[in-house]
Amino acid sequence: MSSIDLTIEICGMSGDGTIAAGLLLNEALSAAGFSLMALDSYPAEIRGFGRCVTRTRISNKEMTALSHKTNVLISLDDEQSRSRVPFLTEDAVILFDNRPVVYIGEDKALLPLLEPEMNIFGIPFGDLASQASGSRRGKNLAALGGFAALFGIPAEPFYAAIKKKFQAKGEKVLDANLKCFDAGMEFGARTYKNKLQKIIQPGTNGVSSEKQLVSGNVAVSTAAIDAGLALYFGYPITPATPIMEHLARYLPEKGGKIMQMEDEISSIGGVLGSYFAGKRAMTATSGPGFALMTELIAHATVTEIPAVIINAQRGGPATGLPTKTEQSDLQAAVFGGPGDSARIVIAPSNVNECYYFTLKSFQLAERYQTPVIVLTDFFLNNRVENIDPLKAPEGDIKDGNILPDESKKDKYLRYENTETGISPRALPGMEGYIFASTGLEHTEKGVPDYTAQIHMMMSEKRHRKIMNALKDLPEPKEYDPEDEYDIGIIAWGSTSGAAIEAAGLARERGIKAGMLKIGSIFPYHAEKIKAFMNKCDEILIPELNFEGQLANLTGHLHRKEVRRFNRVTGVPMTAVEILEAIEDIVSRRSHQ
Amino acid sequence: MKTSGKVTAEKVQKIRESKKFSVRSQNLPTWCPGCGYFGIHQGINNAIQELEIPHHMVMVVSGIGCAGRYPFFSNTYGLHAAHGRSLPVATGVKLANPDLTVLAVGGDGDGLGIGGAHLPHAARKDININYVLFDNSIYGLTKGQPSPSTPPGTKTKASPYGSEGATLNGTLMALSYGASFVARLFAGDPESITAALKEGIRHEGFSIYHVYTSCVTFDKQFKTWTNLKKNIHPLPDSHDPTNLKEAMNVVLEDDFAMGIVYRRY
Repeated sequence: MSSIDLTIEICGMSGDGTIAAGLLLNEALSAAGFSLMALDSYPAEIRGFGRCVTRTRISNKEMTALSHKTNVLISLDDEQSRSRVPFLTEDAVILFDNRPVVYIGEDKALLPLLEPEMNIFGIPFGDLASQASGSRRGKNLAALGGFAALFGIPAEPFYAAIKKKFQAKGEKVLDANLKCFDAGMEFGARTYKNKLQKIIQPGTNGVSSEKQLVSGNVAVSTAAIDAGLALYFGYPITPATPIMEHLARYLPEKGGKIMQMEDEISSIGGVLGSYFAGKRAMTATSGPGFALMTELIAHATVTEIPAVIINAQRGGPATGLPTKTEQSDLQAAVFGGPGDSARIVIAPSNVNECYYFTLKSFQLAERYQTPVIVLTDFFLNNRVENIDPLKAPEGDIKDGNILPDESKKDKYLRYENTETGISPRALPGMEGYIFASTGLEHTEKGVPDYTAQIHMMMSEKRHRKIMNALKDLPEPKEYDPEDEYDIGIIAWGSTSGAAIEAAGLARERGIKAGMLKIGSIFPYHAEKIKAFMNKCDEILIPELNFEGQLANLTGHLHRKEVRRFNRVTGVPMTAVEILEAIEDIVSRRSHQ
Repeated sequence: MKTSGKVTAEKVQKIRESKKFSVRSQNLPTWCPGCGYFGIHQGINNAIQELEIPHHMVMVVSGIGCAGRYPFFSNTYGLHAAHGRSLPVATGVKLANPDLTVLAVGGDGDGLGIGGAHLPHAARKDININYVLFDNSIYGLTKGQPSPSTPPGTKTKASPYGSEGATLNGTLMALSYGASFVARLFAGDPESITAALKEGIRHEGFSIYHVYTSCVTFDKQFKTWTNLKKNIHPLPDSHDPTNLKEAMNVVLEDDFAMGIVYRRY
């Protein structure tokens, strides 16, 4: 079986149905049995004249990242697609509308930019759609039909995807879409029958057909539901809003409730109130909203109230780049807020971990009576992967609350300084355990107290508690471990996937490269990170932020200065970029 | 109401032991002698007693300020939250455990200033909580700066040439935000506070009690006991609290008519 690794892009103007076509393509190719990862990018403006691009990478092997080059470009709009040409491989396949509704001048056309070695297929998407359905609107479907024909993919998985998407809109709409697809497929097969590309046989692609197409947002939301979420409080913000929308649709049928609040401060306020009263609650936000939450997050560290907060990072600072990806809230997540306010921060690196980390966060929050921040990012939230069915392990969802025992009745100390730092937590409604919590420094009983002795003792207690949580937090993962490396990469979050691939590529080129993925950002596994660093001559930390935030946090563990690779391009980091950084460091070393 | 007098250890012990005051906690209030908050405290405590709500089924959420310390002076569950945030936190508590009687307490700076964005939403969503707004028209804990309900022209250390901006009317705001139960009360009359709370706690929706009170330490000009006592009077007997227009009119025309101004159901 030959190796398949294809990146397919659909590019159009907003309104061309680009995103819809991408969704159908993903569904169909996932059903056809490929490993798949996909990400859309679209304009921030609601009805702006913007470019929409969907990128889908498929493979018959497991993969961890998007690729940096595009093998297939399906152009729904010549002018917009011109910008994609630099990303095309030398032997790329291009499908474009060769009979557009208006004449496209040389300066706006796609063809003049393409290389002769490329495989260019003109298909009159609009005309075909018009003939098939009476409207040019179905040109995106005709384009998919053309693609299926050229790559020899059977129509069935596409039919299923189209039915799934359009069934609810009535027989007429569904029929029109199916006809447009057929018209494109028929035209492609007839016109280019001698030029058909690689034939892809579904079922022989080596990937289990049990896999499901899931986005990071859906994984996070599903985990919250599976964890028994009672209340969700939130405020709309890109890219976290789909979590609220998903929960709004599915949480009520599980007996939960969402409440859209007036801002992010009240959202975290609602979460704290709910947890104080003993019910699991969550909020999801992005950088600017997270900034507003930091006062109450710090408050929850000192009042020791559980909370689950998803921070879907986007480009910052301030309003920043709302629809672009970045990893620049690490410091805000770990340190944001007044005073010494240690809390748990974990960062999933793929869609699967979005589910399992979120699931676990509810239990961690209860067990350690602390806010748990799950750091995702635009890329992670919005990308889709086809993954094994998500299933909550029994142990990961069970109640993490530690209630005071009967012997403490009527002499209950809410903030008892125990060995673990965990003080059994009573809930309002329990008789004999009345207490009040405060954001002021307080005694073990919870009464405000500003003395040096109390502040020292309680600060130490709270930090001991958080550091003890390390044993329950996701451990760093070393890929293909060896005894020593020329260079070790340490990555976190959505950049990890590209780093794993980059380490593999470096090894293929004879560089002894190691790779460590960090899932727990705070507290972090200092000993394990140090052990990895000790095996490496150089350490490279690639991050989608300008300041090198993980490097700032953990770089001191290495015996010499760590190398940083920082990009704020708004797009996911690619394996090739990281590989170049690796090669650069290694070659400079060998010339020393 | 008697607001002065030496509090002896014996008296304190008596207060602690008396059934009437059992909602008081072991912690003595840190408010200044003569503070109006003692009257509100008494009014709230008596309402809880008279409704016979078990103390462990009551939860008080406060913001920051002199009123923010309230949970420590109440033998109930309590959370002294962040400045201005009592309403959203109380919302979370009530949604999580509807069996609890939930009170949110805070001053005018807390509720009309920093937390002013929350009142409209707790009110319009008709969350079944009881919000007691302690309005003394001054920032007391930070030692006397003008608050959103301080009349313009008031001289304080932070406004030596007179404060600026119009005075927010908490009762009128609550009515326009759609609160389903609105009372305006006087800290010098704990009995009326108790009476209103007994109605409001049983009311299955958002109840706000806008309590006029005096800061004896930092306000010598506006809401002094003398001024308040001189001007306070009950709503007219003819007042129909189910009529929103009438409620708004009476509040617009008369700053000192006290009682249950409005209840939608």
